[in-house]
Amino acid sequence: MARVGVFVCFCGANIADYVDVPQVVEEVKRIKEVKFATEYKYMCSDPGQGMIRDAIIQYKLTSIVVAACSPRMHEKTFRKALSDAGMNPYLLEVANIREHSSWVHQKDKKAATNKAMDLCRMAVAKSIANEQLHEISVPVTKRALVIGGGIAGIQAALDIADARIPVVLVEKSPSIGGKMAQLDETFPTLDCAQCILTPKMVDVASHPYIELIPYAEVLELQGFVGNYKVKIKKKASYVNFKTCTGCGACWQKCPVKVPNEYNMGIDKRKAIYTPFPQAVPNKPVIDAENCTMLTKGKCGICKKVCLPGAIDYEMQDEIIEREIGAVVVATGYDMWDPTPYEEYGVGRFKDIITSLEFERMVSANGPTNGVPQRPSDGKVPKNVVFIKCVGSRDEAKGIEYCSKICCMYTTKHTILLHHKVHDSHAYVFYMDIRAAGKGYEEFVKKAQVDTGTTYLRGRVSKIYKKGDKLMVRGEDAQIGQVVEVEADLVVLATAVSAPKDNPELARLLGISYDKYGYLSEAHPKLRPVETAKAGIFLAGCTQAPKDIPETVSQASACAAKVCGLFSGDTMKKDPMVSTINNEYCSGCQNCVKVCPYGAIITDEVPVGHGIKDLRTVAKINEGVCQGCGSCVAICRSMAITLAGFTDPQIINEIVSI
Amino acid sequence: MNYTKQIQDIAAKLFAEGKIDVFVGYRMNGFDENQVPVLITDPQDVSKLVFTDKSVFNLVNYLKTDHTRRKRVGIVVKGCDSRSLNLMLTESQVKRENLYVVGICCEGVVDDAGEKMQNCTDCMVPDAVVSDEMLGTAVSGSGTLTYKKNADIVALAEKPLTERAAYFEEVFENCIRCNACRHSCPLCYCAKCCIDQETATLYNGANTTSAAFHALMTWSLHLAGRCVDCRNCEKACPSHLPLHLLHKQNESVIYENFQEHLAGVIPEDRGAFYKYSLKDPDDFIM
Amino acid sequence: MEAEVKDQLVSIEKPELIAPPNWEPVIMGILCNWCSYAGSDLTGTSRIQYPPNIRIIRVPCSSRVDPWFLIKSLQTTADGVLVSGCHPGDCHYISGNYFARRRFLVTKKLLNFVGFHENRIQFSWVSAAEGPKFAKVVNKVTEDIKKLGPLHLYKKENFEKK
Repeated sequence: MARVGVFVCFCGANIADYVDVPQVVEEVKRIKEVKFATEYKYMCSDPGQGMIRDAIIQYKLTSIVVAACSPRMHEKTFRKALSDAGMNPYLLEVANIREHSSWVHQKDKKAATNKAMDLCRMAVAKSIANEQLHEISVPVTKRALVIGGGIAGIQAALDIADARIPVVLVEKSPSIGGKMAQLDETFPTLDCAQCILTPKMVDVASHPYIELIPYAEVLELQGFVGNYKVKIKKKASYVNFKTCTGCGACWQKCPVKVPNEYNMGIDKRKAIYTPFPQAVPNKPVIDAENCTMLTKGKCGICKKVCLPGAIDYEMQDEIIEREIGAVVVATGYDMWDPTPYEEYGVGRFKDIITSLEFERMVSANGPTNGVPQRPSDGKVPKNVVFIKCVGSRDEAKGIEYCSKICCMYTTKHTILLHHKVHDSHAYVFYMDIRAAGKGYEEFVKKAQVDTGTTYLRGRVSKIYKKGDKLMVRGEDAQIGQVVEVEADLVVLATAVSAPKDNPELARLLGISYDKYGYLSEAHPKLRPVETAKAGIFLAGCTQAPKDIPETVSQASACAAKVCGLFSGDTMKKDPMVSTINNEYCSGCQNCVKVCPYGAIITDEVPVGHGIKDLRTVAKINEGVCQGCGSCVAICRSMAITLAGFTDPQIINEIVSI
Repeated sequence: MNYTKQIQDIAAKLFAEGKIDVFVGYRMNGFDENQVPVLITDPQDVSKLVFTDKSVFNLVNYLKTDHTRRKRVGIVVKGCDSRSLNLMLTESQVKRENLYVVGICCEGVVDDAGEKMQNCTDCMVPDAVVSDEMLGTAVSGSGTLTYKKNADIVALAEKPLTERAAYFEEVFENCIRCNACRHSCPLCYCAKCCIDQETATLYNGANTTSAAFHALMTWSLHLAGRCVDCRNCEKACPSHLPLHLLHKQNESVIYENFQEHLAGVIPEDRGAFYKYSLKDPDDFIM
Repeated sequence: MEAEVKDQLVSIEKPELIAPPNWEPVIMGILCNWCSYAGSDLTGTSRIQYPPNIRIIRVPCSSRVDPWFLIKSLQTTADGVLVSGCHPGDCHYISGNYFARRRFLVTKKLLNFVGFHENRIQFSWVSAAEGPKFAKVVNKVTEDIKKLGPLHLYKKENFEKK
């Protein structure tokens, strides 16, 4: 027989003014299971908790009801009081007589008191069906997976590895470095991107706790927080990295030329190539689509010139499996394709380029040795028009959001142009200048003065060709007139867009993504680093457009989260999870379909009754289960129980009033 | 519709080839024109098998017994029966490789009075959707015929609430809680029915109107999106309760609101409650 | 049974005839922990007043609500039920409320079909920020059920009240 103790709180005057607390106590004493009931001014205070502790021992109580404020407020406090008295903390029920009674029925004390009594009866009835529960501890594999080797992935991997936690860093392309490796200088300090990035890239390659897997993709992720299993496809590079010395003889002799992705297709690379001279790992790979040896079986020059004999045309894709405990997703961003801007003549006029193409041109290691050139005739441009918000903030043609970095990099471009071509003049068409960030506004102001750039506020409506020049027609909203600017070169500040592979990646990781394809965080303000799936974190532009400092901060935050997760050998977890009664489970597996976390798998158990055969039943992984109860409600056999919210508990509440 | 000969031949062949241990079919009941299900294990009994428009029962129900589980079974299914078989397969209750399914292109079966049954006149899927072998001529448009909302529920829905309440109170009052409906339903295969479990019985009287109400409501909701309208339950009910009303009501709500297929028509389709659409009606929620 | 049908009839048309004096309906409110329960707490902290007829049960998610709970509530203690969860797309458990929404519609229509007034089974989406909305919802449900009067259907062998 249950022995319930009920403790009714005055909450100062908050409850006592509107609910007749002594009457509630008298009423609950009439319930036959209630062996002790009392009232106190502040139940949550130390003396209040002391009363609970004392009563548990003195009256040998088997469950406790505290009638006070919302359980969302003090459930943990009172659970601790139960623990302190040596009682299982989950034998507590809270009757919410403040938020649900005294505060909302202030004009009718009788009704509020009646309702408080009912709420107490319900809590008592529920508590009778409460069971002892114990925190679940889940073992943790202390190894992290970082997907993406841009600055976000590099920073996260280094920070985690520095805490002596092994990291597996998977990069899609042959080298890490990402978009940042393509940049010339970085705002607002104009330090050279290569100079600050390459040391970190080298650190990654040489770090004893980092396993770098370049030219690879994640195929599958199974398991749950602390216990994931990942399958990685390492694409065939046709070059044995162990024997390759990176001498470069192969790509110097290779006869096949294809557009160079690193330089935005402005120049050519070979079919066997390292993406850029500072690549990490600095080993070439063969581009299987373009290599004539691999496509037609003719050539084989690279193999002939390779002295260490590292070239292997027979190499196959390799599947690598790793056990990991947490994932950092840092897949970066794509540049938005400006083709929808037909009025700009994108695609028709050669001298319209995107900002990343411009970035490569002004880059010291770029295809034009750092001097911008017109793609049409190779002349150095004098008048350059920069158009901002191409794709950004444009619901009709592009995307609704602000890409955040374009204002700043366009400012940087005007400075770089001024540095490289002293007699040039830059025009910037803009909608707003958004320069929120440390030193950003100062940077923009200084650039405007130093470079003498003409800023025109308004959208460009048309670009047309006049001789070998481009005429840019737009509105200057500040003077309210249409202006035309003669340009040698037009640079489009194209929007940042989500990587096109993100939806597919999100599906295989089991996380969500927004309408643009950016991966979704668990909470936009308070949990911006976590995803809704425990143990998977987001760093950098894969979540939303970000600049480098923000990306690095978030990457370090991911590292902190991963280190926190791995701080113990096991993780503690709330015991409010579902369990399956095999005896009742008929194995229809409908619960598998409704579980949002993939926490339910199938298991084979003996049929019993002397029959040597197995039957299928569902099995819940309590490490993954988040306790929503979807499976419980759809289980027709009532074989599933959700601890803390069992059918008897809820039905007890329903029938008790 | 008479496939007696064909079915006898098929069963004999299957036994001869050693492909099956049991054949589930129909035989004459021995005293009138009606038929009963039969489980044939001896090849010599094959001649007992019949199939006419009096073959009303859904034989898939017999796949949940110990006589057929873990055995190789030959079975005859009509359109509606095959849909329940589809669900049994999807819900992992039977293994397809253990079955030899004789599908019928059904022209409709008749009740005791010789009238075509209501579920047959309304039938959208007369042809069996699962089979190893089909008998009869395929009905054109089987599976894509227009959905006919059951006339009984339309008529009841038009009546005032109080009349409906009175009507159903009588229905539930006449229920004797024998659970024949449950036993006759192929999709009621749970190891222990939730209605018999302690949790439920704790809060339920035994043979009372309100207990019957609770049991039948729970039952019909557990079959919502799964019921194939074979009417085995109604045929089994000793009190002749109009059980189809509950199922057809749920079916029409699901069909009209969720743009779902009828239960069991699509292989691997688990029914409306085990999936959702972002476009589901939301206007009934404040 | 005839008397009871009459009760129903009267209670729908003229509740004052059947309802005992000072009769107050009991409404069972089943709220999800993350949105609606938090929203109802906010109603409290904002001191927004609403009728005292609702009795609140906390569940983790609206998808935990088995139709059985609604049926049992109506059969035993309640004159009406209200189930409330997170707005579509906001479910703490990703998709729970979508599964629940389908079950709710079918359950509501079925109960209405067998003779319960549709206003006795109501649903709402209330977010953790919608304290005023929760009060509005409770006001509406309480008014609706007061109009319908006490529920007698299938309550013959009711539980003895404690």
